[in-house]
Amino acid sequence: MQVRKRNGDLETVDVNKIVKAVERWVADLREIDPLRVATKTISGLYDGATTAELDKLSIQTAAELIGEEPQYSRLAARLLATYVDKEVRLQGVASFSQSIRYAHQQGLIGDETAEFVARNARKLDDAIDVDGDLRFEYFGLRTVADRYLLRHPQTREVVETPQYWLLRVACGLSQTPAEAIGFYRLMSSLAYLPSSPTLFNSGTRHTQMSSCFLVDSPKDELDSIYERYHQVAKLSKFSGGIGIAWSRVRGRNALIRGTNGKSNGIVPFLKTLDAGVAAVNQGGRRKGAACVYLEPWHPDVEEFLELRDNTGEDSRRTHNLNLANWIPDEFMRRVEADEEWSLIDPSDAPELPDLFGAEFDEAYKAAEKKAVKKVKARDLYGRMMRTLAQTGNGWMTFKDRSNALSNQTGVPGNTIHLSNLCTEILEVNSDDETAVCNLGSINLGAHTTAEGGVDWEKLRATVRTAVVFLDRVIDINYYPSDQAARSNPRWRPVGLGLMGLQDAFFTLRLPFDSDAARELSTRVQEEIFLTALESSVGLAEQFGAHPAYAETRAANGDLHPELWGADLGQPERWTALKERIAEHGLRNSLLIAIAPTATIASIAGCYECIEPQVSNLFKRETMSGEFLQINTYLVRELKARGLWTGPVREQIKRAEGSVQGLAELPADVRELFRTAWELPQKALIELAAARAPYIDQSQSLNLFLSAPTIGKLSSMYLYAWKAGLKTSYYLRSRPATRIQQATVSIAPVEAVACSLENPESCEACQ
Amino acid sequence: MTTPSTQMLLDPGMDLTLRPMRYPQFFDRFKDAIKNTWTVEEVDLHSDLADLAKLSPAEQHLVSRLVAFFATGDTIVSNNLVLNLYQHVNSPEGRLYLSRQLFEEAVHVQFYLNLLDTYVPDADDRAAAFSAVDNIPSIARKAEFCFKWIDSIYSLRTLSSKADRRAFLLNVICFAACIEGLFFYGAFAYVYFLRSRGVLHGLASGTNWVFRDESMHMAFAFDVVDTVRKEEPDLFDAEMEQQVRDMLSEAVECEVQFAADLLEQGVSGMSLADMREYLQHVADRRLQVLGIEPIYHSKNPFAFMELQDVQELSNFFERRVSAYQVGVTGSVSFDDDF
Repeated sequence: MQVRKRNGDLETVDVNKIVKAVERWVADLREIDPLRVATKTISGLYDGATTAELDKLSIQTAAELIGEEPQYSRLAARLLATYVDKEVRLQGVASFSQSIRYAHQQGLIGDETAEFVARNARKLDDAIDVDGDLRFEYFGLRTVADRYLLRHPQTREVVETPQYWLLRVACGLSQTPAEAIGFYRLMSSLAYLPSSPTLFNSGTRHTQMSSCFLVDSPKDELDSIYERYHQVAKLSKFSGGIGIAWSRVRGRNALIRGTNGKSNGIVPFLKTLDAGVAAVNQGGRRKGAACVYLEPWHPDVEEFLELRDNTGEDSRRTHNLNLANWIPDEFMRRVEADEEWSLIDPSDAPELPDLFGAEFDEAYKAAEKKAVKKVKARDLYGRMMRTLAQTGNGWMTFKDRSNALSNQTGVPGNTIHLSNLCTEILEVNSDDETAVCNLGSINLGAHTTAEGGVDWEKLRATVRTAVVFLDRVIDINYYPSDQAARSNPRWRPVGLGLMGLQDAFFTLRLPFDSDAARELSTRVQEEIFLTALESSVGLAEQFGAHPAYAETRAANGDLHPELWGADLGQPERWTALKERIAEHGLRNSLLIAIAPTATIASIAGCYECIEPQVSNLFKRETMSGEFLQINTYLVRELKARGLWTGPVREQIKRAEGSVQGLAELPADVRELFRTAWELPQKALIELAAARAPYIDQSQSLNLFLSAPTIGKLSSMYLYAWKAGLKTSYYLRSRPATRIQQATVSIAPVEAVACSLENPESCEACQ
Repeated sequence: MTTPSTQMLLDPGMDLTLRPMRYPQFFDRFKDAIKNTWTVEEVDLHSDLADLAKLSPAEQHLVSRLVAFFATGDTIVSNNLVLNLYQHVNSPEGRLYLSRQLFEEAVHVQFYLNLLDTYVPDADDRAAAFSAVDNIPSIARKAEFCFKWIDSIYSLRTLSSKADRRAFLLNVICFAACIEGLFFYGAFAYVYFLRSRGVLHGLASGTNWVFRDESMHMAFAFDVVDTVRKEEPDLFDAEMEQQVRDMLSEAVECEVQFAADLLEQGVSGMSLADMREYLQHVADRRLQVLGIEPIYHSKNPFAFMELQDVQELSNFFERRVSAYQVGVTGSVSFDDDF
């Protein structure tokens, strides 16, 4: 077998050469068999392949062994890092500052960052942690390499290594080299990561670093609707996720005075929005995405709930839009009391989207005499549940609670009209102000050890750094629309989130639904919020309170935990904080939001945000391909018990990642390693409600039911509403049947005849 | 022997009575299949075109052969279903499932039609792809194998003799084990190979749904075989076992020569030797399900196949999540457990 070298020469493939390349990286990885990687690589090769193909194949081969031994993930990551490194070096880049200069020449890096780096080249070059890449798992590094590293505009080769990338991100937000290096070290340790738009764009020519944009509903007129399409396209182009309300636009059959015609309702307009979102692809790095919010009194709400169905007329379906219900309490009360619900055209009651609480209730009841249609509240609620079960979409978010507790709704006229694409951001907006939020998440797993528990001092230090750099984004950010540029400097909101909660629970051996887990998650959230507020006061002391501070509840001395009515864990610190706020105000109107962290948790190698593990063994599907994910905490446990064997692995695979059938494991271990599907969802809601007093925006709370029914769902979401949650996110469920497994052994013929679903007809059980 | 019309799964007889239900497991499969409903419009092929342009000539060749096979594969299965299976499965609930399967095969045909229309913009190339059965020898060979088994029982109006019944079983086994179970599973490996490397998401997500359906078709067919085995154990003699083994060996040969064509130009990560071993391994598995000794004792060399055996989790903004059910039931209540 021969391979073609970069210079065109043919060379015989040498197993030993591959073995050596692998051995270089396995000093701390004792379970790796370099020869196995080498021989498997060669068996997948064809005669005349290039050496680049050989390198890629060895990475892939190592990655494919992760299911047997998780250490292969580290190996694959290191082989990939070497590959990337080579690609960068071959373009003549030998240091961080050279990579910035080179990328600046290619028009990728902004002038200011280029100058900052040129001025401080020595210090910054020396700061690069040469072992930094050793911390990555394969999936994380692959994601970084495929989508985060800057590429040459023509050759498409990467022009920065992973560590250069993180330092570039830090430099884009820093004023001094010391500051940049400190922030770089925090990110490089994977203890904190800003959100993807910041990781994509910091230091570049287009510094759009915010994740979320909340666009108010277009006004009930054509010009406004088309202005919104334009705005959404601009926001989407620069990696923003979009929430947009649509409650102000009149429904089907409403009179259009100008032409004396009847409206076709909101669906055709949403179809146009759908196509617009699909057309703009966020610089090729991910698809554009938007979520439309509608209040359930809108006359077209029933058609709205069908937009994601996979049957019916395609001109009335939107395959790319996400859907959310923005629900006033009055609706939930009528559902509970089994009363009627009126659908009212916004052209008859244009004030409704701007009201909440008692004022909304009053205006709604007054408008009911103009109702277009009456339905049973429960029927409509049932349809919402059906949409959730069948599409996962149609998120339940609660308008009154979101507004009543918000720091931004301190004066009349300021209303939150919707949440964002991931239901964790709650900010006021209006026709000429689009709310913006930039995000980052703390990796709690990286702040927790089995012996010491949570390292509170380290956690506080991380929060302080994070708040400074989240706040910094507001001033440096490039705003793709005027409406966004107007709102953000006034309110200066940020969203500091959390990821790796499940890692901390595994490390400390706390079952997800235990009292101790709930207590810890609440304490962590209080610590983060307190420290974030303290940092924001500090910034206010230096730079002044944010301009709209007088319109906030904090200006009246009301902070979120009190509005919630929580029992404070650290009352003295809160008292001291309030005194400082009274004196200096706050630099940021909002500080905390728990985002889903899908991509950055992958990079950090931790579990997503506040979620339980979905399975002990599963795959992630992303634009980079498919990646096997295995619970390394479980593997460690099984190894310690001598149970990490072929048959046990197969049993876990056969059970789709569940260990509940592993009789060899003691009950408490099985309890610890339950999956999201095996946990009571009530516990997830209770955990969320317990930490919610310390989240001034909201949290992306997914719920999991393998086989949802309308009964279960309606009970669950009523419970979530009563628990006081502001928002919920996806309902995750599982397909009715699955593709036949190809890599587990065949059960004997007799067992196939057993059908547990039909015990009465099953001879095997009788 | 009891009266066939009321006791046996295979005809003669025309049972039209759903209650009492003799084979409730078939009815359950019918209901499960409905929950898996998907439509071609849900599959977004946008990014595939950009990916296709990036593939090496060798990989492009692989993809074009693969879709050419898909273009006719499901049509062949539908034909056998209507011409043979539906006639002889004497159970109304079983025929409900077969009706559903027929619908699914039609959706698959529509999906691959849409796929080829998108992938192959040139009208002449497209016509050539659709007539692959005639002009691509490696695909023609597989088609001949299928036709041989469709024709084997085409003239039977009823299964009156043991020989007829065995001939019918061989047809069922051929379509389950060789065509859906080996030809499609071979194709499955290529798609999985591509998707594990992050290209052709549209092909991958549509094919993923196709395979979810195909898995059920195969399971249903094996369920039919097992049911007949229980009802008429004497049909399963040594001679039939040998016929099944011969049939699978021939199917493996057909599929290996197809693989040789697909991989002709060299695809890194998928060698012909590995593919042969994979096909032998799959054939062994089909024999094992039928309670027959394996022929090859080969191991699965493709670690990426493991990815299809575990739950998927997609970032919603990157991939359409395929893990939802349709046809959810129940009514609003407030005291259910959750």
